[in-house]
Amino acid sequence: MPELVTTAYSDQAASLDGTLAGMGHVRSAAISKFEETGFPTARDENWRYSDIKQLRGQAFSVAQKPPSTEIPDAICETAARLVLVNGRFDVERSNFGDLLQAMSIRPIANHLMANNDRANELHSGSDALTVLNTALMRDGLVFSVPAGVEIEEPIEIVHLMSGADGAAAHVRHLIELGEGAKATILERFVGDESTYWFNSVLQARVAEGAALNHYRLQTEGPQAIHTAKAVVSVGAGGNYNACNISLGASLSRFDAEVRLLVDGANATIDGVALAASRQSHDMLVHVDHRMPTTTSDQVFRTVADALGKSSFQGKITVAVGAQQTLADQSFKALLLARTAEANAKPELEIYADDVKCSHGATIGELDAKAMFYLMSRGIDPATARQMLVEAFTDDALERIDNASVADAFRDRIKSWMMAHAPTQLEKDVA
Amino acid sequence: MAGTQETREQVAEITGDYKYGFVTDVEMDMAPKGLSEDIVRFISAKKKEPEWLLNWRLKAYRAWLKMDEPDWAKVNYPKIDYNDTYFYAAPKSQDKPKSLDEVDPELLRVYEKLGIPLAEQEVLAGVEGARKIAVDAVFDSVSVATTFREELKKAGVIFMSISEAVHEYPELIKKYMGTVVPQRDNYFAALNCAVFSDGTFVYIPKGVRCPMELSTYFRINAENTGQFERTLIIAEEGAYVSYLEGCTAPMRDENQLHAAVVELVALDDAEIKYSTVQNWYPGDKDGKGGIYNFVTKRALCKGKNSKVSWTQVETGSAVTWKYPSCVLAGEGSVGEFYSVAVTNNLQQADTGTKMIHMAPNTRSTIISKGISAGRSQNCYRGLVKVLSGAENVRNYTQCDSLLVSSTSAAHTVPYIEVKNPTAQIEHEATTSKISEDQLFYCRARGLGEEEAVAMIVNGFCKEVMQHLPMEFAVEAQKLLGISLEGSVG
Repeated sequence: MPELVTTAYSDQAASLDGTLAGMGHVRSAAISKFEETGFPTARDENWRYSDIKQLRGQAFSVAQKPPSTEIPDAICETAARLVLVNGRFDVERSNFGDLLQAMSIRPIANHLMANNDRANELHSGSDALTVLNTALMRDGLVFSVPAGVEIEEPIEIVHLMSGADGAAAHVRHLIELGEGAKATILERFVGDESTYWFNSVLQARVAEGAALNHYRLQTEGPQAIHTAKAVVSVGAGGNYNACNISLGASLSRFDAEVRLLVDGANATIDGVALAASRQSHDMLVHVDHRMPTTTSDQVFRTVADALGKSSFQGKITVAVGAQQTLADQSFKALLLARTAEANAKPELEIYADDVKCSHGATIGELDAKAMFYLMSRGIDPATARQMLVEAFTDDALERIDNASVADAFRDRIKSWMMAHAPTQLEKDVA
Repeated sequence: MAGTQETREQVAEITGDYKYGFVTDVEMDMAPKGLSEDIVRFISAKKKEPEWLLNWRLKAYRAWLKMDEPDWAKVNYPKIDYNDTYFYAAPKSQDKPKSLDEVDPELLRVYEKLGIPLAEQEVLAGVEGARKIAVDAVFDSVSVATTFREELKKAGVIFMSISEAVHEYPELIKKYMGTVVPQRDNYFAALNCAVFSDGTFVYIPKGVRCPMELSTYFRINAENTGQFERTLIIAEEGAYVSYLEGCTAPMRDENQLHAAVVELVALDDAEIKYSTVQNWYPGDKDGKGGIYNFVTKRALCKGKNSKVSWTQVETGSAVTWKYPSCVLAGEGSVGEFYSVAVTNNLQQADTGTKMIHMAPNTRSTIISKGISAGRSQNCYRGLVKVLSGAENVRNYTQCDSLLVSSTSAAHTVPYIEVKNPTAQIEHEATTSKISEDQLFYCRARGLGEEEAVAMIVNGFCKEVMQHLPMEFAVEAQKLLGISLEGSVG
């Protein structure tokens, strides 16, 4: 079976020949690499907590454009709304606002066409899913904010999967912020009930003194597999601030690789995952402190109910000579049901002595005393529980720079709680 | 923050000059170099082992052939040539001496030089109040002397080399050996099962509190040899034993392999306290020579309310790969791991623990302090796992690292896997969060936060170290002086 799957992807890569300029040899190098390694298994360290046997056992075809589909409503005021349906940019449904006057946004095909070397500059990755994304990418957007330009409102990218049963979309976005530029990218992922696979790679370069806010709201359909990678490099005094919310999909993974390349680069990476039914959410972060005086901070909160599983693997590396690095990480998991599961692997790898790095991780259930306190003030158990979970997850939302994005995320978390509280409630009443 | 000058000096003192690097010229009986079924048979025949044990070894050997050397640890070393190693080396003598008078005086001098009291009268004539310690001395592949056997026998305690136990208590060995660490558990454990030479066997009967500390002293002497010992300790219902282990080796330019297996079994209400001061030759300043210490240590807390506590002070070895673990299978059982690991020069240590919570109300504590100096690498790797049937599990983990030089490295790789919501798991890598209550108390009395934290953690460690006997405690005390200031999670 695995050979059949690999062959299917090799065929897909071959059929894409000539679709994106300069990608021919990049694709073939990637697919050869994939043929060698195949999909990872639970024995691979980074895949300990995500079992992708579904990907190993089934070849997902190339997603086709659906006949018609409804685009979800906006969750907040945005500067522009860019829509990708089944992994293809849909220009008719997109709205660029006034953005094109200040910055450039174009499909990756145009970007690659301009220069033959651009395909070589793409991140080809070492993990199988990024490699496969490189081999099979078909579309994506390239954002380029010139030096000194600040875009205040979020730029929304809606990824919609519709009627793509048994199909996959491999999307690649590139973001480039010039010196002192500022932008907020809000990525949303939505889908229907079909069994599809969404696999994206986002590459970002944040120049000196620039700031990129990267917010993700993952509400894929219940049968979906969502695997996303962000590869970000940050220059001197630059800022990368990310917040990821994992709510949907049967199996989801967000993997952020952040390189702090020049003195004073800073990153904050936060996340919330809420897992119910048989969902598995995995969040991975690797912050690589390459130079002195770089700083990073991570706050992750996860909640698992029913047969849900939430996992976190956070790695901080401090390179030789990267003195006066400050790196913090906090992970907390709540288990709401007997059958839920939480895993954590907060890792530190430090090669410099004058640094301050720390991590803390806790796993447990809701504090009975806090519940009692709220109930003694006349709050019913369901509301009390909801309040406590909201307070718990809120730690990870505090750094969101845009109040309406933060509120929208809070609303989603609240509705999740309302939908999933009953299992625990019954136990309390009994 | 960088370590203070005082810290640097202390680390240099502990790990600087290796005091136990001398070589002793003893006539040796060696197996031919290399590893094959014939060598396994040779070792088994040398030890006049029963058929079942030979078969057990061969089974392990065949399994080992099919296994791969693990590469996941954060250690680098050239590939070991298993055909260039002696798997058996024993001081030449006919049989194990019946009393100390019959032991080769050259060997006795070795232990004297190492400061290990082999002569019983010396201990008996010692300072009043000094604790008695029974010693099993393992020299290369064999046990050369075991002291206080008679006195221990009166209490019903069995303390002897494992090769003797195979003949005298085959039923106990058959019942327990390989049950805690299965043959195929890992590459080095399988290798040990095939070629283990000697080691210590301890059996504490029901309700007995072992009247003295038991200890084994491992010494690698011969060139190009590997040491593969097995230790098996069984504490029956309500029994208690404190066991200590020490290790040294001569300074040689070649690397030598030490692949031991330690299995502990604690039944209802039993308690085993296992302490190690590991001081194998770490290699020279340029990383030449030294011991590869690839050890599998595991305890099975089989009975209700049983308790196993591992304490280790790791200063030696060129490469350490060691994770003393507790399988908490008995309801209310307790596992503890207290570790101080110091690396210097080009040493590499990848060490930590696993706490597997299988039963309800089990508790575990992990306190790990890593100190790296020179160009060394020091890694804490740990697993806390709570299975779904284990209610009300409690774990507290704290691991601190201190880097004393800008060229050394410290890593922390803790795994936390929880399948039961009633578990309360805390992993802390920042000292400031150790115990809010204690901190508050100290601060209310005018101490600064740093001071207060240092006082709390030091005080706690001291308490652990005090359980070590004199000769171990002296070494451990030096380590304790190292300030917590500038800890890196």
